[in-house]
Amino acid sequence: MTSTWGWLILLFPLVGTVVISLGYKVLPGRLAGWLGSAAILGAFVCAIGALLSIQDRTPEDRQVVSTLWTYASTAKVDVGMTILVDPLSVLMALVVSGVSFLIHVYSVSYMGGDRGYARYFAYLNFFVFSMLLLVMGGNLVLLIVGWAFVGAASYLLISFWYRRGTATYAGLKAFVINVVGDIGLVVAAFLLWSKTGALDWTGVFRGSHEAFHTNDGVIVAACLLLTVGAFAKSAQVPLHTWLPDAMEGPTPVSALIHAATMVTAGVYLIARTHPLYELAPTAADITAVLATFTFVYAATCAMAITDLKRIIAYSTISQIGYMVVGVALFGYANGLFHLMTHAFFKALLFMGAGSIIAAMAGEQNIDRMGGLRRAMPFTYVTFMVGSLALAGFPPFSGWLSKDSIVAFAFDRGGWYVAIGVAGYVAALLTAFYTFRVVFRVFSGEPVEEARLLERGELAHAAHRNPLTGEEEDTDVGFPGPEHHIAERELPMKFAMSLLAVLAFAGGTIGIPDVSDVLERFLEPTFADSAFQGVAPSDTAEWIGLAVGAATAAAGIGAAWLVYLRRPGLSLELARRFPRTHRFLERRWYFDELYDLTVVRPLQALAAFSRRAIERGIVQGLLVGGAGGLVRGGMTIARTIQNGYLRAYALLLLTGLAGLGLYFLLQSS
Amino acid sequence: MILPLADVPAPHIDYKGLSPLIALVGGTVLVLMAALLRGRFVQRSLLPLLTLGTLGAAMGLSIWVWSPGDHRPIVESALEVDALALSLSLVFYVAGIATVLLAHRSAALSDAGAGEYYTLLLSSVTGMVLLAEAANLITLFVGIELLSIPLYVLCASQVRRRASLEAGLKYLVIGSVGSATLLYGLALIYGAAGTTSFAGIDRALGDTVSLSDPLLLTGIALACAGLAFKASVAPFHQWTPDVYQGAPTPVTAFMAVATKAAAFAIFLRLFDSALLSAQFQWAPALAALATITIVVGNVGAIAQDSLKRMLAWSGVAQAGYILAGVVVGTQKGLEATVFYLLVYLLMNVAAFAVVIARERVSEWGDGMRALEGLGRAAPWLAWPMTIAMLALAGFPATAGFIGKFYLIDAAVDGDYAWLGVVIVAGSMISLVYYLRVVAVMWMGPMEVRLPSLPGRPRTAKPVGGWSPEADAWAQPEVTLVAVACAAATMFFGIWPNPLFDLVADVGTSLASLVG
Repeated sequence: MTSTWGWLILLFPLVGTVVISLGYKVLPGRLAGWLGSAAILGAFVCAIGALLSIQDRTPEDRQVVSTLWTYASTAKVDVGMTILVDPLSVLMALVVSGVSFLIHVYSVSYMGGDRGYARYFAYLNFFVFSMLLLVMGGNLVLLIVGWAFVGAASYLLISFWYRRGTATYAGLKAFVINVVGDIGLVVAAFLLWSKTGALDWTGVFRGSHEAFHTNDGVIVAACLLLTVGAFAKSAQVPLHTWLPDAMEGPTPVSALIHAATMVTAGVYLIARTHPLYELAPTAADITAVLATFTFVYAATCAMAITDLKRIIAYSTISQIGYMVVGVALFGYANGLFHLMTHAFFKALLFMGAGSIIAAMAGEQNIDRMGGLRRAMPFTYVTFMVGSLALAGFPPFSGWLSKDSIVAFAFDRGGWYVAIGVAGYVAALLTAFYTFRVVFRVFSGEPVEEARLLERGELAHAAHRNPLTGEEEDTDVGFPGPEHHIAERELPMKFAMSLLAVLAFAGGTIGIPDVSDVLERFLEPTFADSAFQGVAPSDTAEWIGLAVGAATAAAGIGAAWLVYLRRPGLSLELARRFPRTHRFLERRWYFDELYDLTVVRPLQALAAFSRRAIERGIVQGLLVGGAGGLVRGGMTIARTIQNGYLRAYALLLLTGLAGLGLYFLLQSS
Repeated sequence: MILPLADVPAPHIDYKGLSPLIALVGGTVLVLMAALLRGRFVQRSLLPLLTLGTLGAAMGLSIWVWSPGDHRPIVESALEVDALALSLSLVFYVAGIATVLLAHRSAALSDAGAGEYYTLLLSSVTGMVLLAEAANLITLFVGIELLSIPLYVLCASQVRRRASLEAGLKYLVIGSVGSATLLYGLALIYGAAGTTSFAGIDRALGDTVSLSDPLLLTGIALACAGLAFKASVAPFHQWTPDVYQGAPTPVTAFMAVATKAAAFAIFLRLFDSALLSAQFQWAPALAALATITIVVGNVGAIAQDSLKRMLAWSGVAQAGYILAGVVVGTQKGLEATVFYLLVYLLMNVAAFAVVIARERVSEWGDGMRALEGLGRAAPWLAWPMTIAMLALAGFPATAGFIGKFYLIDAAVDGDYAWLGVVIVAGSMISLVYYLRVVAVMWMGPMEVRLPSLPGRPRTAKPVGGWSPEADAWAQPEVTLVAVACAAATMFFGIWPNPLFDLVADVGTSLASLVG
């Protein structure tokens, strides 16, 4: 029964994709949106079914492998259409399908005026299917297939407004960087397969225990390659630069793919392959250090930039850094706990941002916003809930989940304490930048759009690219003519209020000493871990939580001081430290660095090859050459292929003579 | 001297095993007789239905006869039935059924007479089934002639079109040269081995006949050339583009898949069972032919403007790929060959169905431009064509990918890794012309600049008026064939297990092959 639920989880979004993409012409009005939502709801219900049926089993029996058919069983490769239903995949399926459903419902309204409505939902359903395939896949091949599929879905949705140059460029960038990760993943899979002879999870794990000793060179290499894959998908330094640009996609897409689900695939990957990482602690440590750097780095960037969606994007990079640290330090339940709560509050924040951007008629710069509190009470409250959760303010969910990771780092002792300290520093920055947004958008003097909205009118402006200011029309390939805000749309309200409740109360499944639901639920997956049962004492956790709460309060207080109490202080600071400000605003010059070290040299190389190789060798020698060769060949061919029978018979006889000669030579 | 009849031992005949052939021959006679009745109903509906019924019945009987791992003579020392014969028979029947559907509105039907057309088609199928079941050289040759002669006529059946007549004549002349060469080769092999039965030749080769016997080797060379002609393997492929283009397109589709499968059936029977002991002698020659074929076919296809010619050249290249499965002379090679022939049927019929649908309505005939903008105007035709092209190129998630993978796997496994590399290189070149078709259909109006052959755009009689919507549904049976074949191509690309099971059964049918 468990496996049936597992297959049904995959089936629903697949059917949704097919139905919507085939019926895009005949589906009237918003039916495509509702169909898509229903499909994902079906998947969510099945995920609950899987959850219940897996809980009915004994703990030892909670890893169910089911093969629908064998795809290839040849040349020592044994690959099937196999899913693995275990607590980890069920948890991921629940989070993915649950959050996806709410974002689908939100999109039904939010994308209402767009000319690519059905296409949007077909893509979105396809994404959910791919993501579920990724987390349910029972072997490395299906993982890679799902991995590539979500990359493709992400590309399609980032460049959803395909007539926008910046959007297509961002899609391209995301795709290219993700392919770097794909290569890492594929090579890692090859290494594991060549040493363990298996591709399915259980076989790989069992085989690696036999094939490798701790910190064996190959397993460290394999884990580092897995990390490359995970980092590209999860936008961790140094493969993070695509995620902020991915905000070119529609806002619900940012909420779903580039905040709540797809970008956490890296965390899932590390958690899923934990037996390998535990065999290669060096690789795990390198991963943890890089992720620590990422969450501090991204938090500093988020303090200086002014694009609303990009701020939240950097916050996503930062929060995923926490999760990666959580799983790379082998505190799996903590990392996954944060993954779950983050999905709730980050999706909520993006939905709020979507509503704000709609009220501002497409404007995304927070410098141009202000005083929206009275005009958008609902958005304000829900955004506030999300912000408090992100800042880690008690008793919101982010407080419990983030601090569980930090407390675990302290508990590991040794140099891991430094990671814990960094965790608090970044938490302080997080609280600060989060409330920078809240105060600047909702408080202060209402801007013109806010005043209009208070009078009951939605602002309308010429449609422009928020990045470049180019004028756009509203036909397909550009955003639609209408804007939708949460205050006026019931489906948006529904999705946001549910997420607000989850962002507030989602932490209750992981209160130290009171409820360790998540940890106990995940136990069967991580039973083989050496770190199973290792956890800070409850006292230590509560002390950690208290410090975390104080940090959050300090950060919020600082933001209040800078942006409400003494407005202008921030400008003064920026003036006093122009270099630091510029450094942060340019996000530590990562894009420029890559431009200089990777893009430019490659372009130069391409230009050179075009000049020298293409023109010189290929066109000159081969084509001019080859042009001549092909032309010559074609002349010969045309001479031979002249339609005259006698010519054909001649060649036939020549061939025959050749064959005969060959065989007669054999006889001597 | 007159032998008393009683002294000739009657061969044992297994009528159950023979039943598909009996059904075919009976159906052929029935169709010919029924064609004497005049009347629109008979000519337009009854005859095709009878033909379809015959083919369906034969197919049903073949499946009924089939029992896994079975290998038994049905007419002693002349015909035997095994999984190889039965699975290839399925290819012939399906190709026949598709041809009947595709030809339903063909001008050839009224030109040549529906009864004659269907009778010839059925005789050709009978010949193919006969040679797939052949157990000695004589039956083999009878089968080959029975399949070829009706095809010569079918090629010329559009008697009011000069190109069709020319194709028929050309095919007849060159085909006779090929048949004669083959017959000569078979005769020499008989002369060397002293027996016509495949099993006997196999025994003799290991025993009494020296493998360097010039008589035997000359025979093999001639047989090889004759078969290469039938399978359009370079350098014996020259007739292919001309005949494919000239023949009525449904006949072309039939030739492209069924004749090719039949030719490879003989290749398998003759080389991988009767002459297997001489593998060291013939395998290098066949491998060289395969390489030449892959190169020539792929290069030739690039510059084609006519879809039929392009598919003809692509068929030449594909013959080269399939030949790799014969060269290795292993069980896996046999499995891969049959697997590829099965999926080749699906993807090629889908492609030809779309060509037929377009050439009847487009002013560009079978030119590349006939497909322009098809993605928008008739997605139900554009998708099958896209899938067929991608499958022929070997894209993952289509059956073509698995087929090609299987062939490469077999080549590498049989110590012909370099041939696997040639297949991959050939597939890379083939993307040039396969993807251009996809681009023309989906990427809107574009100038297809090709070094085209001189010729004016043809004016074709519109079937459903000139509007795209009317055209798309004017020939539902053609669309049906295209969609069904493309769907099966996708289906077996995602779930190849049924075909794997089938060819695993085929793999055991030639006893002499090693696993």
